[in-house]
Amino acid sequence: MPDTAVSTRALVKRYRGVTAVDSLDLDVRRGEIYGFLGRNGAGKTTTIRMLLGLIRPSSGEVTVLGRRILPGETNVFSRVGFLVETATAYPNLTVRENLDIQRRLTGSPTRTVADSIALLRLGPYADRRAGQLSLGNKQRLALARALLHAPELLVLDEPANGLDPAGIVEIRELLRSLADDRGVTVFMSSHILAEVAHLADRIGIVHEGRLIEESSRDELAAKARAFATEAYTSEEREQALLTLDLERYFLARTDENPKSGDA
Amino acid sequence: MFGQVLATEFVKLHRSKATGATLAVLAMMPPSVALFMWIVREPGRAAELGLLGTKASLVGIEATWPAYFYMLTLIFGVGGMLLLAFIVAYLFGREYSDATAKNMLALPVGRHWFVVAKLLVAAAWWMALVAVVLVEALAIGLAMGLPGFSAELAATGIAHVLLAPAISFLLAPVVAWIAVLSRGEVAPIAFSLVMLALGNLFGRTGWAEWFPYSIVPLLIGVVADPVDSLPAGSYAVLAATFVAGVAATILQLRFADNAQ
Repeated sequence: MPDTAVSTRALVKRYRGVTAVDSLDLDVRRGEIYGFLGRNGAGKTTTIRMLLGLIRPSSGEVTVLGRRILPGETNVFSRVGFLVETATAYPNLTVRENLDIQRRLTGSPTRTVADSIALLRLGPYADRRAGQLSLGNKQRLALARALLHAPELLVLDEPANGLDPAGIVEIRELLRSLADDRGVTVFMSSHILAEVAHLADRIGIVHEGRLIEESSRDELAAKARAFATEAYTSEEREQALLTLDLERYFLARTDENPKSGDA
Repeated sequence: MFGQVLATEFVKLHRSKATGATLAVLAMMPPSVALFMWIVREPGRAAELGLLGTKASLVGIEATWPAYFYMLTLIFGVGGMLLLAFIVAYLFGREYSDATAKNMLALPVGRHWFVVAKLLVAAAWWMALVAVVLVEALAIGLAMGLPGFSAELAATGIAHVLLAPAISFLLAPVVAWIAVLSRGEVAPIAFSLVMLALGNLFGRTGWAEWFPYSIVPLLIGVVADPVDSLPAGSYAVLAATFVAGVAATILQLRFADNAQ
């Protein structure tokens, strides 16, 4: 079994003269959480679409779990869970029915629907139509669908979208436990550094379609601290600490008063 | 696996307003024809209705079973082509308008199975509509007591009425291809409207039996007197259109970019 879960070699995607992904070489190790960090338009989603065979590379190659991704070849996706761009579902179907479609098409046992509902705390909304869910619960449904068939690899595009701070912490802990306890590889993209910094073992920074830096979280943190020491004023550092304090206080207060219904 | 794909395609229609809407639209047609027949049969009362009565009498159609079947054939032929285009556009295009195509296409299922399953769902949906509305039409015709009914006429009339929707279905995969190519529902419906107009135009030329969208109008008598049977060449054209549509849809999903 190769120890690389995701690999790209000289990967390029051009749209009508615009290069969205440019000679991308990427290796994501099995069992790690890889943060794919970049600004809007950096090429994160285009890369994820190519990993999932939704679009064809202009050149280069993609390998997922040891299988090269070729047009229309979908067998490997029985081992991959994914969330691409916005969390979407069939709006006329309930949460349970949406998950049952995923169960049927991945050949998973019946109990996996209830298990994934419980895992993502979707119980109160299980019989609610997906079109009536809040943004955060749509995101939970998309994550439940991604996890339902116990994949070896999770490819998540902005997984914290729409989640409140408590939800973000919860999903962060869930992904960490999947990686630590079950050896699931997580490839997650984000444009929010804090989200990646809390979770990823390694972080790749993509800009204008190119991987411009790749480091472990600790290495990146050290570089960031050194940079901040030089670049920030004491007032800016104070403001950053205040933001963290406020977030922690908010979480503590809302944990004391858990929500009783959907937002 | 195909059984599961087919089952999920039916599940996706749960609580969909489109199924009821298509039934409502098609089910309105027989009462409309019946009203027309009633106006023709009762010219005195029709005159009291003003323009509606005048127009009805101008057409020169008799209020008889053969005329009733003829008008039903027109409705199932022309209206049916558009309604079937809507059904196919909905089944394929909604995956893009609801942004669920990306979820569907990265599943461990051959993409061709989605095409086959959706076309089978369209066929089942279409057959159910036609069957229900045909029964409704027969019941209305019998209730009106139209003259000229016989078992033989009914068999011939029903066969004619059913042939047009069956032929229309052979054109459906092209609509599916336009839906996945354009990633939505508007373009395939617009395409069908344009083809219907072109079909009528070509139907008045010598090419009617060779242009796929003229064949149904030719059969049901929109562009000339209705024909009893189509030439073999027309069936070959329809079969080729069907195969080309299915192949193009599968190739589009398999080889083209399918982002939202």
